[in-house]
Amino acid sequence: MQGILADGLERKFGPVTAVDHLSLEVERGEVLGLLGPNGAGKTTTVRMLACLISPTGGSANVCGFEITREPSKVRDMVGILTENPCLYERLTAYENMQFFAEAYGVSPREERKGRIRELLEFFGLWNRRADKVAYFSKGMKQKLAIARALVHKPPALLLDEPTAGLDPESAKEVRDMITQLSCGEKRAILLCTHRLEDAEKLCSRMMIVNKGRCIASGTPELLQRKLVGAPVLEVVLKFGSTDTADAVRRLASVRSLEADGPRLVMVVDEPDSATPEIVDSIVRAGGRILSVNSLRPSMEEIYLRLIEEAGL
Amino acid sequence: MIRLLKVKLVFQKDWLEIRRNWQVLFPLLFVPIVFALVLPAVAVVPTLSIPSHVPSDGLLAVMKALPAHVRDEIVGMTGQQAVAYMMLLYLFAPVFLIIPIIVSSVIASDSFAGEKERKTIEALLATSLSDGEMLLGKILVSFVPAVAVTTVAFIIYSAVADYMTLGLFNGRFLLPNTIWLSLIFGLAPAVAFADIGLTVIISARVKGVREAQQISALLLVPLFAAVFGQASGTIFFDPLLITTLTALVVAFDIIILAASIRVFGRNHILARLS
Repeated sequence: MQGILADGLERKFGPVTAVDHLSLEVERGEVLGLLGPNGAGKTTTVRMLACLISPTGGSANVCGFEITREPSKVRDMVGILTENPCLYERLTAYENMQFFAEAYGVSPREERKGRIRELLEFFGLWNRRADKVAYFSKGMKQKLAIARALVHKPPALLLDEPTAGLDPESAKEVRDMITQLSCGEKRAILLCTHRLEDAEKLCSRMMIVNKGRCIASGTPELLQRKLVGAPVLEVVLKFGSTDTADAVRRLASVRSLEADGPRLVMVVDEPDSATPEIVDSIVRAGGRILSVNSLRPSMEEIYLRLIEEAGL
Repeated sequence: MIRLLKVKLVFQKDWLEIRRNWQVLFPLLFVPIVFALVLPAVAVVPTLSIPSHVPSDGLLAVMKALPAHVRDEIVGMTGQQAVAYMMLLYLFAPVFLIIPIIVSSVIASDSFAGEKERKTIEALLATSLSDGEMLLGKILVSFVPAVAVTTVAFIIYSAVADYMTLGLFNGRFLLPNTIWLSLIFGLAPAVAFADIGLTVIISARVKGVREAQQISALLLVPLFAAVFGQASGTIFFDPLLITTLTALVVAFDIIILAASIRVFGRNHILARLS
């Protein structure tokens, strides 16, 4: 079964173009991160893919169903976590789950009850099932909203800021769950987030959008290369020596080297394969290594630089 | 195709929310009780100050504007009887229409604009429920209580009015009569439906429950005009007028339902939220 496929998706609100010919693909078992500043068009993209609003141009398929021609089938295939938890606060956690399970057509009754229990137990909310959602903490509401998105076992998930408002422990639990849903259960997941930590840890590919347009996409490594070129490796020695620097400079995998006392900074092609070779040559030359660091920019730096380049 | 089980699901969910919301529940209980208990008292208590031997001829002179058939009804009554009769059976009839308007307005505002205000609408629209199922469920959750509360208030009103006037009219029950039955089971449901339709349209354009309630309460304006029109003798709520008004309001209901269906669509609702 296919995942999510959008081709030239466009949405205009009057004179404003919220999403401008956006194309993306999320395969089953993959997490695609959609990153961008506020107003970049992330939420509008999610709403179009969930058949909440129609596109004004382009097309998209979710699990093989076209969003404008078969919206009802698309909704059955999609679990959505919106910006807000969107929970009925006067209803209990169980009543919320029951309503959405029935609305999504989870049947028969025994299966519905079992699924609700399974999800509430997984999120640690089973003991609070009879409490009104109004009395829940922000984190508990977020967990319940994710549970609701999963109640009908959708093969595609659209998650808008899933760890927003969660404490570090709960955020990790949610990240682990997303990993399990993509790797273990092979769901196609589109993750909209501002939290670059989430994007870095969860996404196999990322797409950075600005003013409705894609400004960069690819694996985190590809984005890093696109922005800063070849990776840079830093080796800090106990004592600096010309012999050690020369030994490293002779290696084919090292494109250039700059020695600053005990600190060697070098440009390499493939840090993963080059690092053992570099370490070995330093040790053979009598150098004593204190640390080896990759000087790749963080996702945060990449994101900020791309947004800056795009002209915000 | 509309699946009735899904309509019931939306109805039950909204009803559960309403039952737990005192801001909605209070007017639902308070307004009908006030109308059912206070209005008969207002009609009967002042008549006690009128000497029982005074004939209604003097009043008839004042009530020249009354239609002939109504004047015939009160010929031969004492002043006490005529005042109680006119107030209980005629004057309060249009006033009673306030109940379905208030009840439907309060519930429909909470059900439609409330979903937007509490930011729950997006998750609801993301489900497999069709626009029609959601709209019908939400219309019914406003319509059924509006009709039920009006009916219960009418039963209490009739019982209290009959009890208070039993002695005055020598054991004769005044209510229910044709006018009131056609009003409660004809005009009142039609008016409630019109108010719900208006609230759906208004809710699509406003952001909060209060705003929706205030604007939808505008339907009270023609109603008050009718009350004053009746009090001044310009119009009169007799069976013919009630039937004519019911037909007109039903026609309005059809138009407003069509407009509501257009307004209550996923694309329309979320485009306005964006």
